Amino acid sequence: MVCAFVPASALRFARTATPEVLTPQERRCLQAMVSRIIPADANGPGALEAGCAVYIESALRDAYRSQKPGYGAGLAALDFCANARQGKAFAELNVGEQDQILSEFERNTGVGEYADGAAFFEMVRRHILEGMFGDPSYGGNANFAGWDLIGYPGPRMYVSPDLQGLDAVIPRSRVTAEQLVHGSR
Amino acid sequence: MAPANLPKTDVVVIGLGAAGGLAVLPLARAGLKIVGLEAGGWFRPADHQPDEIRNNVRHWPHAVQKANQEIPTARHGRNGPPLPRPPYHPMMNGVGGTSLHYWGQSWRLTEWDFKVRSETIRRYGASAIPEGSTLEDWPVSYEELEPYYDRVEYAIGVSGKAGNVQGTIDKSGNIFESRRQREYPMPAMRGAGFADLMAKAAKRLGWHPYAPPAAINSVPYDRRTACFYHGFCGSGGCPVNAKNSTAVTTIPQAIATANLKVVPYAHVIAIEADAHGRVTGARYLSDKKEYFQPASVVLLAGYTYENTRVLLLSKSKSYPRGLSNNHGQVGLHYMSHTRNGVMGLFPFDLNRWYGTPAQGTSLDDWADDNFDHAGLGFIGGGNLLVPMEEKPIEAASMSTFGRARRWGSSWKAFVKENAARWAPVWTQISTFPFEDHFLDLDPEVKDPLGYPVCRLTVDLKESEKSAMRFMQEKAEQWLLEAGSIAIDKLPLAPIGLSTHAYGGTRMGHDPETNVVDAWGFSHEAPNLGILGASTMGTSGARNPTLTVQALAWRTADHLIKKWKSIAE
Repeated sequence: MVCAFVPASALRFARTATPEVLTPQERRCLQAMVSRIIPADANGPGALEAGCAVYIESALRDAYRSQKPGYGAGLAALDFCANARQGKAFAELNVGEQDQILSEFERNTGVGEYADGAAFFEMVRRHILEGMFGDPSYGGNANFAGWDLIGYPGPRMYVSPDLQGLDAVIPRSRVTAEQLVHGSR
Repeated sequence: MAPANLPKTDVVVIGLGAAGGLAVLPLARAGLKIVGLEAGGWFRPADHQPDEIRNNVRHWPHAVQKANQEIPTARHGRNGPPLPRPPYHPMMNGVGGTSLHYWGQSWRLTEWDFKVRSETIRRYGASAIPEGSTLEDWPVSYEELEPYYDRVEYAIGVSGKAGNVQGTIDKSGNIFESRRQREYPMPAMRGAGFADLMAKAAKRLGWHPYAPPAAINSVPYDRRTACFYHGFCGSGGCPVNAKNSTAVTTIPQAIATANLKVVPYAHVIAIEADAHGRVTGARYLSDKKEYFQPASVVLLAGYTYENTRVLLLSKSKSYPRGLSNNHGQVGLHYMSHTRNGVMGLFPFDLNRWYGTPAQGTSLDDWADDNFDHAGLGFIGGGNLLVPMEEKPIEAASMSTFGRARRWGSSWKAFVKENAARWAPVWTQISTFPFEDHFLDLDPEVKDPLGYPVCRLTVDLKESEKSAMRFMQEKAEQWLLEAGSIAIDKLPLAPIGLSTHAYGGTRMGHDPETNVVDAWGFSHEAPNLGILGASTMGTSGARNPTLTVQALAWRTADHLIKKWKSIAE
């Protein structure tokens, strides 16, 4: 399932930044992992469709620059495991095989010489959640997919008392922080 | 190169945060000339954005700041290995300091907090004092501090409902609070569906819930607007100036007197002292140039870690072990609050998205000495708080309560159903000083200027773990009564850097065991005052800021009254 409509604001960052922090191989591997942590399914777009791989690569250009070596090593370890078992890159495995390797990283078992599988898994998971549920201006949460998934009604400047009731029906604001502050849509 | 000498001023205040930014107001009103040295710059309302990644994930207000260049190290004992160093300092620089983005919770301590040692011995016997504790009664009583609590509440603006006005108990406020002279200047922050649900559950348990006091405008105050409840208050500054940081309250009022000069981006590296042991002013860097600001009186008002560090770095012939440290007390009696809570999962949406964490429900039935501690293995207890405001990344990062794996389609279905259905109960326990908990300079880790950073040596004592477990049981009971269907207790976290850090320059009558006297002035350097939670001898079970501010006003008041004997 792919988003039919992505607002220009969500794409702006990706367009101007043209991130090329990762090699094509690393990017394919990251995209595969992103699509398994939050898959596209009957509950809506997944993390890949929401732009979380773009979010992460953009962050690795600046705010998370220091974490680039961790990504390089972790993604290489995913490919190493995939190659050792199936003779293929991680991105080319079927989803069952991918999930099996990710589970082992999560539990820090079966990842051979790579000692920090769980730390890598937790870091990427945390960043995927940031991309999926953070402000869309950072490149993720495209078309508010993450906020729609969990029912977050979006940022607004003023919240009236009735919007804080237990049974309140809250319209979705569908704006980014920047659009809210500067009033442009 | 010798530092550039500036014209002498009456008072130099080092740090314009919650404490220093408050003390400048009474000093300026009294006609004293003040120079305020602040490591950060000015923030505008528009700098504060409704953006969780910016505020809470990447800590934008802290980025590229002095504090972030000197993050303390921590270890769990004298021989313990260094703990992982967090990427962000818990506090920020800026005119207004961390009061720019704090939760604004503005509790008073209680009478008991100021005399824990004597009250504990009286009620439970000397053996109830935790082993190895250096606990002393404060040299100040609640009654002496009450007028200053009152002044601060009205000067900055605090919203709340009194529970004890001159001895008259009002059950719609906090019945456990100590006697206050009058009502809060503004009504409490408004209720909300979930906060009200929790208040009703507490009442069914026979407990006494109340709306926590906040330095946030519940109604327009001092020509500033009431809160918009927009839901980006925690670690976010206020875009409409409804949060009463010193940057929008006392500092502008002090500037208006023309007696305060604010020097932003002034990175203080040392306080100088003369051969008589008196301090002479502060040495600081600004835009890579070094300056010396002479002053008749120095008020050190950094955060707890920095107060100890500046003193230890300020060595002179009079103070070879660091300023005001000839008794070896600087850095001792350190303690902090530790994040501790219980998560509850509910079978319905709680709608906690908006509001502010200072809007919620709180109770003190299990705090202080409000219940019998016989046989419990600890003294004190904790405040319990359920906050509003749940931002989306935090919501989705929820515990799975053992009901789902942490990723994949099953997790996605779980958060779709439950991200709006969980809530934390936070608890802060009373913490006490111990002889093996202290701050000093790290022997290896340095800041970019080559100065050692502060090092914490601290761990959780058994008595503290007992108190935390006790509070977790109460939190669980509360959540279950309110309708929780699953509970997840946070592990008793390893103690490290804290936004509620106390001690290092403790206040007390005895110079052998304390750095400052009952007024906040050094026992050794008579014209050096120290402001901040670094002077507090116990933590209390609530957020420190209002007490820090009341103490700061009292120190300033003392300086004004005794100007000739202190300054000349």
